[in-house]
Amino acid sequence: MTTSTLKERATRATARRPWLARWSDPDDTTLAVILLAPAAILLGVMIVYPVSRLIYTSFLDLSLTSGLPPRFAGLANFRQMPDDPVFWQATWNTVLITLITVPGSLLVGFALALLANLPFRMKWSVRLSLLIPWALPLSFAGLIFGWFFHSEYGVVNDVLNRIGLPGVIWFNSPRLAFAAICLAIIWKASSFMAMIILAGLQTIPRSLYEAADVDGAGRVRQFFEITLPLLKPTIVVALIFRTITALQTFDIPYMMTGGGPGTETATLAMYIHQNTVSFLDLGYGSALAVVMFGLSMCVTALYLRMIRGGGTAS
Amino acid sequence: MSVGRILGLTARLTAGLTGWLLGAAACTFATGASAETALKVFVTSQGQPAIWRTLLDQYEARNPGIKVNIELGGTTSDMQAQYLNTVLTAKDSSLDVLMLDVIRPAQFAAAGWTSPIATDMSAYLRAYAEANTVDGKVVALPAFADSMFLYYRKDLLDKYGLQPPKTWDELADAAKKVTDGEKNPNLQGLSFQGKAIEGAVCTFLVPYWSQGKVVTKDGKLDFDRDAATKSLALWKGFADSGVAKKNIAEVATDDTRKEFQGGNVLFAVNWAYAWAMSQGAESAVAGKVGVARLPAIKGGEQATCLGGWEWGVSAFSKHQDEAKKLVEYLSSPEVSKYIAINGSLLPTYGKLYKDGDVTKAVPWFADAQAIVETAKPRPVTPRYNEVSEAIRTTVNAVLAGATTPADGAAQIEARLKRIIR
Amino acid sequence: MSATVSSGIGSALSGKPLRLIAAFVLVVNGLFPALWILLTSFKTEAELTQKPITWLPHAATLRNYVQAFSDQPLLTFLFNSFMVALLSTALTLLVSVLAAYALARLNLRFRGLIMSVIIAVSTFPLVTLLVPLFEIMRALNLLNSWTALILPYTVLSLPVCTLVLTSFFEGIPRDLENAAMIDGCTRFGALFRVVVPLSAPGVFTAGILAFVNAWDEFLLALSFNSNPGLRTLPVGIQLYQGEFAFPWPVISAALVVGIVPVAILIVIFQERVVSGLTAGGIKG
Repeated sequence: MTTSTLKERATRATARRPWLARWSDPDDTTLAVILLAPAAILLGVMIVYPVSRLIYTSFLDLSLTSGLPPRFAGLANFRQMPDDPVFWQATWNTVLITLITVPGSLLVGFALALLANLPFRMKWSVRLSLLIPWALPLSFAGLIFGWFFHSEYGVVNDVLNRIGLPGVIWFNSPRLAFAAICLAIIWKASSFMAMIILAGLQTIPRSLYEAADVDGAGRVRQFFEITLPLLKPTIVVALIFRTITALQTFDIPYMMTGGGPGTETATLAMYIHQNTVSFLDLGYGSALAVVMFGLSMCVTALYLRMIRGGGTAS
Repeated sequence: MSVGRILGLTARLTAGLTGWLLGAAACTFATGASAETALKVFVTSQGQPAIWRTLLDQYEARNPGIKVNIELGGTTSDMQAQYLNTVLTAKDSSLDVLMLDVIRPAQFAAAGWTSPIATDMSAYLRAYAEANTVDGKVVALPAFADSMFLYYRKDLLDKYGLQPPKTWDELADAAKKVTDGEKNPNLQGLSFQGKAIEGAVCTFLVPYWSQGKVVTKDGKLDFDRDAATKSLALWKGFADSGVAKKNIAEVATDDTRKEFQGGNVLFAVNWAYAWAMSQGAESAVAGKVGVARLPAIKGGEQATCLGGWEWGVSAFSKHQDEAKKLVEYLSSPEVSKYIAINGSLLPTYGKLYKDGDVTKAVPWFADAQAIVETAKPRPVTPRYNEVSEAIRTTVNAVLAGATTPADGAAQIEARLKRIIR
Repeated sequence: MSATVSSGIGSALSGKPLRLIAAFVLVVNGLFPALWILLTSFKTEAELTQKPITWLPHAATLRNYVQAFSDQPLLTFLFNSFMVALLSTALTLLVSVLAAYALARLNLRFRGLIMSVIIAVSTFPLVTLLVPLFEIMRALNLLNSWTALILPYTVLSLPVCTLVLTSFFEGIPRDLENAAMIDGCTRFGALFRVVVPLSAPGVFTAGILAFVNAWDEFLLALSFNSNPGLRTLPVGIQLYQGEFAFPWPVISAALVVGIVPVAILIVIFQERVVSGLTAGGIKG
C-alpha cells in the first residue's frame, strides 16, 4: 500500500467537487504552506517585525529625553558599549548566572529526579513538590526569595541563628546577593529539570539494568553506562531551553535585589529594560538588545551543533 | 510605512482569527461612541485614589457630559514611570490626565508628552511654580506638596532633656545618649532610606545641599566631589557607629515608617505621609511624635528635599480642552484645601497653611510651610531617570559597604558627567 | 505505567529510612516557600516585624484574606490569568499541531532550516521587544484586552510546543493515518481524528508547558493591560504594595489564593504531566 494509491482513492471520493478536493486533500507543498502559515504569520508579526524594527533602531540616535528627532548614527550606539561599565558588569553577571545556574539546576534536578524515582507510596505529594516550584510565577518566586534572604525578617538568617551561626546581611555583599539570586534561580529551574529527567528515567527499560546485573556491573557503572547515555538527548534539549532562559534572566534579580548593591547584580535583560523603559534611550537600548540576541544565537548555534553531533552518534 | 501596514493587516487577520476563536469572550477595548466625553486620569495608587474619586464625582455632577475614569498605575514612582514611558513612547491616546512625581514634568515636557497649559502660577508655592515651568512654559499643575522631614520621639527627647537636633552631629550625640540610656536593643537611633529607591537620591542630596553645593547650575553640571564624599561618609558613619542599623542598605521608605511607628526608632527621615499613620490606632507612638526640619552639616544650613505630585495633560489626549479644564480644577485652591483636610496631603498654596479649617484638621501643617517652602528640588533635567539611577545605586553600594564614600563620589561624578554635559 | 518501570539507581536506594529522607528533602525543597507564605498569611503586620521572627503565627487571623479580597479584585485577577492562559494554550496547541504535523509528516525541503528558525526564535527575549510589541498592540487596537496577551504568549510557547509535538507525531505510525484516509477522512480529518488523539500525552504536555508559560508572565501583562478589570494575577499582586507600603501578610494571602488553584490542578493532572513527558515528548 503506497501513499499515492491511497491518495487516488481519497481524490475519487471527492472528485465531484474539485475545489473542495483540492482544499481537503492538497499536495504536499500546498499542505505545508497551509499548515505552516498560522505559525509563520504569528512569528512574523510578533517576532520578526519587532526584531527588525529593533535592529533598525539600534542604528539610530533616538533618545526621547533629548527632545531631538531620531537621527541615523551608524555604529555609535555599539561604540558606546566598551566604555560603559554597567554594560560590562551586566553582561558578565548574565554570563555568570548562566554558567552557574544551568549546571546547578541540572545537578540539583538530577538529584531530585533520582530521589523522586524511588518507589514511594504517596507519589502525588512527591510530584506536587516537584511541580509547585515550576508552576509558581517567577515574579512570585523573586518576591518570596527576596523576603527569605532579608537580613532581619528573613527565614534564612533565622535558621542560621538557630543552628548557632551568625546571620549575614545578604544584600550588603555583592557576592552573597549574587549567591542568593543563583540559589533562587536554581530552586525555580531545577524542578522542571527534575520532571524531565524523571520522565526520562521512567522510559529506561528495567531489562537493561537486569542484564547489567547479570554481567556484574555495579550501580555506579550502571548509572554512567546505561542511565546517563540514554538520558542524553532529553538532557540536551532541556539544557538548550534552560540556557536560553538563563540568558534572559530578569524577574528574579529584579524582584530580589533590583540589581543591588549598586549595580553589582544587574543582568543584561534588566539593563536593556532600564535603558528602554526608564532612560528612554531607545537607540542604546535596542543596540544592547541586539548584542543580547547575538549572545543567545551563539549559544543556540552551539547547542544545535551538539544535537546534530548527538544525532549522528546515536 | 507600507511594510508596517501590510504586517499590521496580517496581524489584524490573525487577531480576527483569535477573536473568532475566543468568541465574545475576548473583551476588546471599545471606545464608547456616545455624546459624553470620557476622560481617563492616571493616579498613583499611593496618592489616595478614593479622595480623588470623590472630587471627580463632584466634578462630573457640575459638568454634565463629562465622565472621568481613574486608572491606577504601578505602585512605586519607578513602576509608574516605566508604565507611563511605555504608553507614551507608543503615543497612546488612552490617558488624558497624568499624575506625575515632581521629578518628571521636565522629562515629559522634553519628550513632548505633555501639553503646555496657559495659566498663572504666582499663587502656588514658588518651588512648585518652578518645578512645573520648563523654558517659560507651564507643563503641569501642582496636585499636592511634600518634603522630607525629621520625625522624632518627643517623649524620649523630653525624658533626656534634649531639643530636636539642628546638626547631624547633634543628632548622633542625642541618639547615643538616648539609646545608651534606654538599654533597649531594638531601639535604633536613626532610620533613613538606603535601599536603591528614589528616596535614596534625597538621602544623598540633603547633606550635600547643606554644604551650600548644587548639582547643576544653569543646566550645566556643577558637582562638588568633596561635598559628595562628605555626604556619603556621613550616612555610612551612622551605619558604622551604630546610630543607624547595619542593614540600612535594605531599608526602604515604608520600612522606616513601620519601625518608627512600632516604637523602635528615635529619629526618622521621612515624607509627610508617615505622620497620619504614626497617629493611627495601630501606632505605638501616637501622641509622642514631633516633626522638625532636617539637620544640617556642621557649619552648613539646614536643607531638605522637595517631593509632591503634579497633574499633566497628555499631549496625545484627544480631549485637550476638557483635560486642561479638569487639571485646572484638580489643582485649584478648593481641591487643595479639601485633600489637606480629608487626606492630610500638604497644600500647594501658601495661604492654605494658615487656613483655620486646615490647621484644625492637621495642626502640624502650620509649622510645615516654612520647611516645604525652603525645600530644594532634585536636579531638573529631562534625563533625570539616569541621574537618579547613578545616585541611588551608589548610595546603596556605599551603605552596603561595597564601595567607599570617596570612590562612590567619584563614580557619581563620572556617571553624571556622561548624562549632563 | 511508571510503577512497572524503575531505574537501577532507584532500586539501589530503596531502603526505607533512605526513602523517608528522600521524601523529606523533596517535600521541604518543593513546598517550603509555599508553606512559609501560607504561615505568613495568617500573621499580623506587627508579628512580622518581631525579632527574632516567628514561624507559627501567634494569633492567627483571617483578616489578611478579607483585606486581600476587599482591597483589590483578586477573583478578577485570577479569572483573567486563567482565561488568558487557557485561551493562549488553546491557540498555541492549534497552531503548533498544524506546524508540527507539517514538520513530522511532509518531506519538506527546508525542514532543517525551519526547525533551526523555530529554535532561534525562542531565543528572542520578550523584555527587549516590549516597546515594539506595545506599538503593534496599539496599532491593532488590542491594548487592554485578553487578546493583547494571548497573541504574545502564544508566540512565547510556540517553539517548544512545536518541537514537542513534532517528536510525538513522528512516533505515530503512518499506517494508522493511511487507514483513516481510506475510510474517507481527509488529511485534516486524519490529523485531528487519528494523529492528535494518539499523541494525547504529547499534546497534553505541550499544553501544560504553554499554560505555565502564560501563567508565569509579568512584564507584558503589566504593560499592555492597565485596565484593572483586565489585570492578571502576577501584575495584580504588585498592586497590593505601594511606594510607601509593603503589606507582606496581605500579599502573602493573595499569593496563597494564587497558588492554591494551581496546586489543585497539579494534584489532579500530575499523573498526566509526568506520563506525557515520559512518553518521549521532550526529545527534540
